[in-house]
Amino acid sequence: MHIQQEMDLYQKLNILTDAAKYDVACTSSGVDRKGDGRHMGNCQAPGICHSFSSDGRCISLLKILFTNECIFDCRYCINRSSNDVVRTSFTPEEVCQLTMEFYRRNFIEGLFLSSGILHSPNYTMDLIYQTLYKLRNEYHFRGYIHVKAIPGADPVLIEQTGFLADRMSVNLELPTAEGLKKLAPNKTRQKILMPMRQVQAKMQENQYEVALYHHAPQFVPAGQSTQMIIGATPESDYQIISVAESLYQKFELKRVFYSAFVSVNQDALLPSLPGGPPLLREHRLYQADWLMRFYGFAAGELLNEKRQNFNMLLDPKCDWALGHLEQFPVEVNRADLGELLRVPGIGPKSARRIVQARRFGALDYAALKKMGVVLKRALYFITCSGRMMYPVKLEEGYILRNLLNVKEKLPFEVQNYQQLSLFEDIGAVKMPGQLTINA
Amino acid sequence: MDNRTIFFCEDSIDGIFTAVYDAWASRLGLGNVTVEVRGNQTLQLFAEYRQVETDHEKAAKVAATIQKRLGLEDYQVLYQAALSKEADKGEAVFRTLVLGLAEVKKKNITRNLGNPAVMRAFELSRTVGFEAHRYQMFVRFRELENGVLFSEIAAENQVLPMIGEHFSDRFPMENFMIYDRQHRDCLVHPGGKAWVILQDMDLEETMIRNYSKEEEKFAALWKGFVSSIAIEERANPRCQMNFMPKKYWKYMTEHDKRISV
Ligand code: SF4
Repeated sequence: MHIQQEMDLYQKLNILTDAAKYDVACTSSGVDRKGDGRHMGNCQAPGICHSFSSDGRCISLLKILFTNECIFDCRYCINRSSNDVVRTSFTPEEVCQLTMEFYRRNFIEGLFLSSGILHSPNYTMDLIYQTLYKLRNEYHFRGYIHVKAIPGADPVLIEQTGFLADRMSVNLELPTAEGLKKLAPNKTRQKILMPMRQVQAKMQENQYEVALYHHAPQFVPAGQSTQMIIGATPESDYQIISVAESLYQKFELKRVFYSAFVSVNQDALLPSLPGGPPLLREHRLYQADWLMRFYGFAAGELLNEKRQNFNMLLDPKCDWALGHLEQFPVEVNRADLGELLRVPGIGPKSARRIVQARRFGALDYAALKKMGVVLKRALYFITCSGRMMYPVKLEEGYILRNLLNVKEKLPFEVQNYQQLSLFEDIGAVKMPGQLTINA
Repeated sequence: MDNRTIFFCEDSIDGIFTAVYDAWASRLGLGNVTVEVRGNQTLQLFAEYRQVETDHEKAAKVAATIQKRLGLEDYQVLYQAALSKEADKGEAVFRTLVLGLAEVKKKNITRNLGNPAVMRAFELSRTVGFEAHRYQMFVRFRELENGVLFSEIAAENQVLPMIGEHFSDRFPMENFMIYDRQHRDCLVHPGGKAWVILQDMDLEETMIRNYSKEEEKFAALWKGFVSSIAIEERANPRCQMNFMPKKYWKYMTEHDKRISV
């Protein structure tokens, strides 16, 4: 292992950014904090992206590792102890300086600090704590901080760190305990879930404290998130979204991120993925995740024991609607919000606009279109004042054929995905959703 | 053909609100009057133009009326629409306001998207809001020799009034300036004080290129960061361009070719 002591800040930043880039979460969302009139920084609940890297992902936070030294040997990770790569570490001072100077030039919303395990989980967590302490109390930084809780670290350290951060995350790494055992021999599912539980419990307690004493310090006000790697182990989509659903319900997570496996190490236990990272699959999982969080769908409605994987040709909502034609068409001038949300082509924003606008009078198709309804997709599933837009058959095969002719708004990155050339007629257009929309 | 009386005003919030006031008070009948900002549009042959002189008191009255009778949500929509670059914004704002004042029972007239005038105001407002948000994201400050943080933009709509609060709240003690080359307006925030917008400004080009000692270092660090954070296996410049269109790149540090990494 090379450990280079004398390295300039530029090289360090380069190495410790490169080592942090596989963590997909980069949102600065979940907390509103006004400025205090004296010190630098504020936060906006929806989050703000500041740039986009050449892979099309949003850059919102200074996402770095404190160190890329690591005593663990997770097979999928570039920083694993058995890899021969240049190792280095920041000092807390350096991290603070970079954060402050980047922030005041409007490059970033704040800091995302993660780390390899240096010496021990406790030692590493303490370094992270020191850094955040300095940033909040010496530099008086009021911007966003996302920090990793290191599994196995002393709960006291994790708690103290949580009082300095806005969001905390512990990565689930792989969807199931078996997968984890195989690819991350130094980690166990139980060890990962423990700090997650702790953060959840402390957040609940803190809500009461803050309600009672207005000025009580806030613990992880933007909540916790996690991520899992998709496609390194053989879990089905159904298993994955079921895990996500229980993380939302039982651990009250704010976000679950899905990270298409990028092969960085040669290892007999890892799949080779000649087609590149499974980006389309990752995209379908994000779509399903949105359906669970904002559209009121349960995992078991989207997939089940018999149908374990998403249709790669059709987005999960269209797919669901085609299987439930008995619930359609719905009348837009009467249907409640929940019913509108289940119509393909109607999103949460347009559904809300419809409900608000129709109080002033009945809506027609032209108005729906301007409100953001994608009529090409919705027209099979709605009536407007009792009329359908065109005479269409409410028949699965017919609608499916027509929907497949409508170009789906797939992210550009998915377009690069080789498998897509198998069904070119889906060709990608315009904006993806999940990569910039922060929730 | 338009034979209405057009209240012709300065292209500013106060200008438009003053014209709304005058049009309303003219007693010519609300269907016979409208509001238009001065610009380079072709004048209409049969319309009668009345020149409106901006009056801050009248404008403040209109603003207060909107806030009180229609509500804050509507005020924000109309205010944003009035910052648009589109020529029909005066008409859209005026019509929506007339409708809103006629609805005595319901607030939030701007949610009545089934109505074409309201829909237009809503569209204008949405576009302006979108651009303002883009500049919250993409404004880049460079530190000048004298410690001032300086940024330039070239906005299509008048976004400065919409981002002043955001940056002042964020950087309360910094001296910063955001110069809009398109409108020749400059947002100025002296540390610890309120922000203002200076109009018809030309800046001294040498002054704004006179960077501080540390500036080059942090610009290079940032540029290096942006390139290291990308995952090669997911490379996708088209997606990047779609989220961050080329027209914004000109003033962004990470795309500044003069900075070597
Ligand atoms: S603990 Fe595992 S995943 Fe984390 S840096 Fe070390 S090797 Fe990588």
